[in-house]
Amino acid sequence: MATHVFDTMGTGASIRFAGDLPPAEALTAVETCFAEFDAQFSLYRSDSEISEIARGALTLPLASERFRDLYAEALHWRSLTHDSFSPHRPDRVLDLSGLVKAKAMDAAAAGLSAADVHDWMLNVGGDLLVDGNLEGSPWHVAVVDPDDRCHLLCTFDLDGSRTSLATSGTTERGEHIWRSRATSTYRQVSVVADDIVTADVLATAILAGGRERLDEAVETFGVDVIAVDADGSIVATERMHRAHGFAL
Amino acid sequence: MRRRAVVWSVLSSGAILAVGWQLGAETAATTGLAETQAAPDASSASVSGGSAATTPSATTPSATTPSAAATPAPTTSEAPAAAAPAAPAAVSGTFTGTSVSTRYGSVQVQVVVSNGSITDVVALKLTNDDNRSVSISNRAAPVLRSEVLAAQSAKVQGVSGATYTSDAYLTSLQAALDQAGL
Repeated sequence: MATHVFDTMGTGASIRFAGDLPPAEALTAVETCFAEFDAQFSLYRSDSEISEIARGALTLPLASERFRDLYAEALHWRSLTHDSFSPHRPDRVLDLSGLVKAKAMDAAAAGLSAADVHDWMLNVGGDLLVDGNLEGSPWHVAVVDPDDRCHLLCTFDLDGSRTSLATSGTTERGEHIWRSRATSTYRQVSVVADDIVTADVLATAILAGGRERLDEAVETFGVDVIAVDADGSIVATERMHRAHGFAL
Repeated sequence: MRRRAVVWSVLSSGAILAVGWQLGAETAATTGLAETQAAPDASSASVSGGSAATTPSATTPSATTPSAAATPAPTTSEAPAAAAPAAPAAVSGTFTGTSVSTRYGSVQVQVVVSNGSITDVVALKLTNDDNRSVSISNRAAPVLRSEVLAAQSAKVQGVSGATYTSDAYLTSLQAALDQAGL
């Protein structure tokens, strides 16, 4: 197994390949993909398109097509999650960061596929997207223990159509999720899905919206969920009951 | 008459369950759990009741014979005939269905009928630890931790956690795995 590590979007990223590292161009293309999304959508960069929007220097109708498409997609998810996921911050700043990382991961994956690079695992700041397998075995992954980041909560395989695992929580960057209501006491939510955008958005929505959003996400999107409540209690969907480290 | 009453009793239980089931699904899609008990949306209850075939409170004369309506008495928690003398053409009362075992757990519903219309449906048996009613679609169940898993002992290639900063990555389990090439 070979690993390529890089820094992007204010966090650490790594791609682990089942075999040798692919040609350098393929790795550069992945990093460029993230850099482009970051340059356009980061509120931490004063020269990004979204910062111009935030300042009022640019209005939405004049924004680029990619910007408007991503905003439209964010609004679509907002509707699907009954406002638990939203691109609108309470202070009225438009913030697409809840979607940008996953979209960049998706685009990077498409780039690797197009370059005929297979059997890899991409981890960006704790969100995972896998392709293929590791020498015939499924990729084996873990969810970190929110009480002790040196320990794992559970481990399981990402196999079949389940390529994506995203976790949202209040542990690493503080309360970086703006909770829409006081209904949720979850402090870490992990979602396993068939694509990284769905996994990431729903993890955020469930963390913000609580049990109601969890049940709805399972029913509507068929995802698997592991949620850790404020008191340390854990709920998990049936498939996750079999994860190593859990007992009913 | 006795036989007819028994048949009606069975039919109404079935219909009540069907209504409850449908309402449960609808509630899950729109509001989720917990609210079902407090205010299960009376208007949608009436609509569901109306569209679910052969509601127990059908307004046709044949189905609203006071004696027939009163017959499911074994499972009735309030005197269903209370309003009957005043309004013999329409049924009022609270009817409780039998408990049915499903893959989501046991289900039992209670239907409040007022003048032939269902005004309230309450899930009685679908409860979580707090005794709040829970929706039928509720599939995530509590799990316990069977052991503390050390990262080193678990042969994983990736670790998912809440988004960390670049600095925090350096001390994360993922960084350890990446550096070790495990």
